Amino acid sequence: MSRSLNFKPSNDRATKITLTFACWTTAILFFLPIAWIIATALKPKNTVLDIPPKVLFVPTLQNLIDALSFSNTLSYFINSIIYSSIAVLLAILVSFLAAYSFSRFKPAGTDFLMFLLLSTRFVPAAAFVIPFFQLFNILKLKDSFLGLIIFYTMFSIPFSVWILKGFIDGVSTKFDETGLVYGAKRPHIMFKLVLPQVRSGLVAAFVFNIIFVWNEFLFNFQLGGLKTYGIPVGLFTSITKGGQVDWSFVASIGTLYVLPLALVIYFFQRYLLVGLTFGTVRGEV
Amino acid sequence: MVSQTSAKFEESLKERPKKRPDKNRKLSWLLLAPVLAFFALLNVLPTLWMLGLSFYDYTLTSYKAPTFTGLTNYSDFVKNEQLSASVSRTFIFLILAVIAQTLLGILIGVFFWKNDKMPGRRLALTLFFTPMVVTPIATALFWKLMLDPTFGVVNYMLTSLGFSRTDFLTSSTLAFPTLIVVDTWMWTPFMALMTLAALGSVPKAELEAAAIDRLPIWRQITSVIWPHAKFILMLGILLRSIDAFKTMDLTYIMTNGGPGDTTELIALSLYRFAFKSFKLGYSSAVSVFLLFIAIALTAIYLYILNAKKKAEQTE
Repeated sequence: MSRSLNFKPSNDRATKITLTFACWTTAILFFLPIAWIIATALKPKNTVLDIPPKVLFVPTLQNLIDALSFSNTLSYFINSIIYSSIAVLLAILVSFLAAYSFSRFKPAGTDFLMFLLLSTRFVPAAAFVIPFFQLFNILKLKDSFLGLIIFYTMFSIPFSVWILKGFIDGVSTKFDETGLVYGAKRPHIMFKLVLPQVRSGLVAAFVFNIIFVWNEFLFNFQLGGLKTYGIPVGLFTSITKGGQVDWSFVASIGTLYVLPLALVIYFFQRYLLVGLTFGTVRGEV
Repeated sequence: MVSQTSAKFEESLKERPKKRPDKNRKLSWLLLAPVLAFFALLNVLPTLWMLGLSFYDYTLTSYKAPTFTGLTNYSDFVKNEQLSASVSRTFIFLILAVIAQTLLGILIGVFFWKNDKMPGRRLALTLFFTPMVVTPIATALFWKLMLDPTFGVVNYMLTSLGFSRTDFLTSSTLAFPTLIVVDTWMWTPFMALMTLAALGSVPKAELEAAAIDRLPIWRQITSVIWPHAKFILMLGILLRSIDAFKTMDLTYIMTNGGPGDTTELIALSLYRFAFKSFKLGYSSAVSVFLLFIAIALTAIYLYILNAKKKAEQTE
């Protein structure tokens, strides 16, 4: 081992094997709590609280089926899907228009507006709950899909504008200019020339806003109601179901909630960085 | 003569974008209109509302009409020892958690970086990254299940190793560190992700050269890695700090601020003021305070981001 330490990706066989072992161990350790929840959901109900915990068992889907057929569970999932997909698509559409304007025309105050948009993501959500609560009461938007969609559209706009502006900045203005010279109308330039080139920005914005909205709890809890509660509220109330905590039930809902997320991370891994930095840092992993 | 032509040239440069000034200006605002409308309705309006409320004595549950009290809410807030304790507790939480996540994240990030072609890397990264996209509500529930004093798996392992059964979440000494551990579990992957991105921002040729020259490891870090990697790492640390400062869902479910107020962080106090005691004026004042902190943090964040851009342009 006379080799000196460095930050180059390693080529040495022994180092590689050690590192592979270390990386996999870390990954599994970090995933263990989630794996435990999934295992709990798959265990027969009467063995969940066994001490010592059963590591080997015959998996059953009964808990998952029970959880899905329990009163509101299915509607939580459907509600989440409805309001998150509509709100995110709407947000991406209006954000694309704004990002195009910011990128190409740089209207006065562009930097300031971008700053304000980003700052909305940095405020503790609880700070805004009261004004929203009252505003929604006055506008009679509480427990309505319209209200939640309006709210989550705003919620998704900052990230979408930031990420799409970054991507549009990367498209040369020559496209726009050439289009104009040939007499193309602005909508044609925007949607036929520029939009196809920022496709990965659109995908990243869509995937991560869906995750953020899918995960948002506080406003769904306060502005929604029995008609419009989503999955996080479902998770939150799962623990209070009945008198005693039904861990099979909690774990089942948790499993149904977490599996789509894990799949998204697997398939959209290269967008993770841009997603978690609100579109401010780009790069691939 | 030279200066004259260059002055003319500059003038012509200035004129160029004004070719069709009216049309483009109108269009630029037209395109912005929907976003601005959303922003006005759902950000500006609530903020002004909140600012207004913060000057009133307004409790939802009392029959008293809201009365204008000027800065009383703010001075009450400054004088409230419980609140200032929860602000400083939040900062302690933030500092300890972010330090732990950063150190661990850098270590793990470097491992994955050095092993860029390992078998099943994508799957391993998926397993590793999943904790950070799980909503804190779910995280809190999962850990509550595992930490349960009678049938939780953590206590089972402790007792089988000969330790005594511990109720982590109701112990006044252990609840706070437990929250830090759970937060670190959630967010170490994020700092590892930022480490990967930061190392990716170092030009490959410089890494090669440093390795060939057999620079001592600390010299590689200070003169090759750090000048490039510092921006993304600092952005990561700042983002984590902002998020840690906002921590609410996790404490709400896991400990609800208890035992006593040992895990009461500021965002949770705020929520309680608004929805348990319905002191709308007072909690608005606290919100305004948090809003200013958020704006300051955003400014720092963008400052680093601009420094990064400048450094990339001069390269």
